[in-house]
Amino acid sequence: MLCQNCGKNEATTHIKQIINGDMAESHLCSDCAAHLGYSDVFSGFGLNLSELFGGFLGDMMPSITSGKTQRCPKCGTSFDEIAHSGKVGCADCYRTFYDKLLPSIQRIHGKIKHSGKTVSAAPEQPKIETKEEKIEKLKAAMNDAVAKQDFENAAKIRDEIKALEGGENK
Amino acid sequence: MSKWYIDKGDQGDIVLSTRIRLARNLDEFPFPAKLDIAGKNKVNELIKSVLFSNDGKDFSFIEMKDLSRIQAVSLAERHLISPEFAAKKDGSALVLSADESVGIMLCEEDHIRLQVMKAGLALEEAFDIADKLDSMLDAKLKYAFDERIGYLTQCPTNLGTAMRASVMLHLPALTRCGQMNRLANTVSKLGLTIRGAYGEGSQPKGDIYQISNQITLGITEETAIANLKSIVLQLVSQERAAAAEIIKNPVEEDKIFRALGVLKNARLLSTDEFMELISVVRLGAARGLIDIPIEKINELIVSMQPATISAGNADASNASARDVIRARTVREALQ
Repeated sequence: MLCQNCGKNEATTHIKQIINGDMAESHLCSDCAAHLGYSDVFSGFGLNLSELFGGFLGDMMPSITSGKTQRCPKCGTSFDEIAHSGKVGCADCYRTFYDKLLPSIQRIHGKIKHSGKTVSAAPEQPKIETKEEKIEKLKAAMNDAVAKQDFENAAKIRDEIKALEGGENK
Repeated sequence: MSKWYIDKGDQGDIVLSTRIRLARNLDEFPFPAKLDIAGKNKVNELIKSVLFSNDGKDFSFIEMKDLSRIQAVSLAERHLISPEFAAKKDGSALVLSADESVGIMLCEEDHIRLQVMKAGLALEEAFDIADKLDSMLDAKLKYAFDERIGYLTQCPTNLGTAMRASVMLHLPALTRCGQMNRLANTVSKLGLTIRGAYGEGSQPKGDIYQISNQITLGITEETAIANLKSIVLQLVSQERAAAAEIIKNPVEEDKIFRALGVLKNARLLSTDEFMELISVVRLGAARGLIDIPIEKINELIVSMQPATISAGNADASNASARDVIRARTVREALQ
């Protein structure tokens, strides 16, 4: 996308703001962004930080990716994807790509050792099941019942599934 | 229940409000950008179940998809949610206390964005409330955390304490004296950042600025807050000194009373004109030239933003209708 201001350069700065109660999005090149007073994008939560962080990582990306791409075992994100988007996929990405991420983290914060509040010992986290998972579980139980020729129970479970699925359409 | 922003707090002549925001994620789930709607809803339900299991908390749970665009933008105008969050729909939710001082954005950029607002300069008090709520959640949820780099966040700029402390300041005199660029440069060297609170760019509306900590890794919450507080107090005293000089000038004094005259009599007021004039009037009121309570002015600044007017008035669908309502409300408030 080209810069909305000059129409010449590639837009690299994307700004979302509220003007007169309307959400407005502008896409600018770095020169126009600086000229229009958006140079201080490294501020606050969110706003463009992802793109900028992507830039931080960009210049340390290997030019030729050799062999198999390493991916985060939990969410499947690769380091290239993080470098490109500036967004880390999950907590395990930090563990998987710790050494690769560290230089950029140091460049942003100047330090690499946390000091401050820490978490409590791992608590028992309550389990929440989505409707889809509940239905999935019930279906398995129903198939089980059918296999055991316990048709009375299977019918009961079938009604439960119907009730759950019905709730979705209402 | 009366809202937090109609109080006048410590250093209330210059400081409008204080905000503490903590970012947290659940270890078990990918960050929101990697979650589908069902996954986000599951995260939200989990956090909701913990929040609402503790009695005595008068929170309401709002799904963003149930809000109209006007309602969502109005929340952003009142600084209760981020502009980015106002655009979110399915899979994002907001938990809000009755006085609107505590807001928890669920599945914004991170799973949890917990924010506490206070009138005036109240960094320690706001942090204390945020910290207690965070500990309450921490007791039941497994947070994404690493001993070395602290709380894990989707954007690495928030690693470490993942705390953003901000103070909103009214600095009309320093702005008039052309000091803001120099100050912005100075505070950036101290690991802080200053920017317009209403609208970005070089000339913020209403001369209202937000100053916040920039670095979150390798610095404790207490130190970050103490640094910010000491800079804010210096800005406050510089602003007071500059304002005291300004009002000695008959031309500037005249400007203040003319601005009041327009606000008391205008039949149409656009957002920009209102913000420009109320800033001048607030300067006069803060220095005792005009006898209008600062709280009243603060409340007008919040409630006269466009989407907030539209959210409260069914007939304020367009800008010109809003300008009529804004002029009438301001007129009545300042009589």
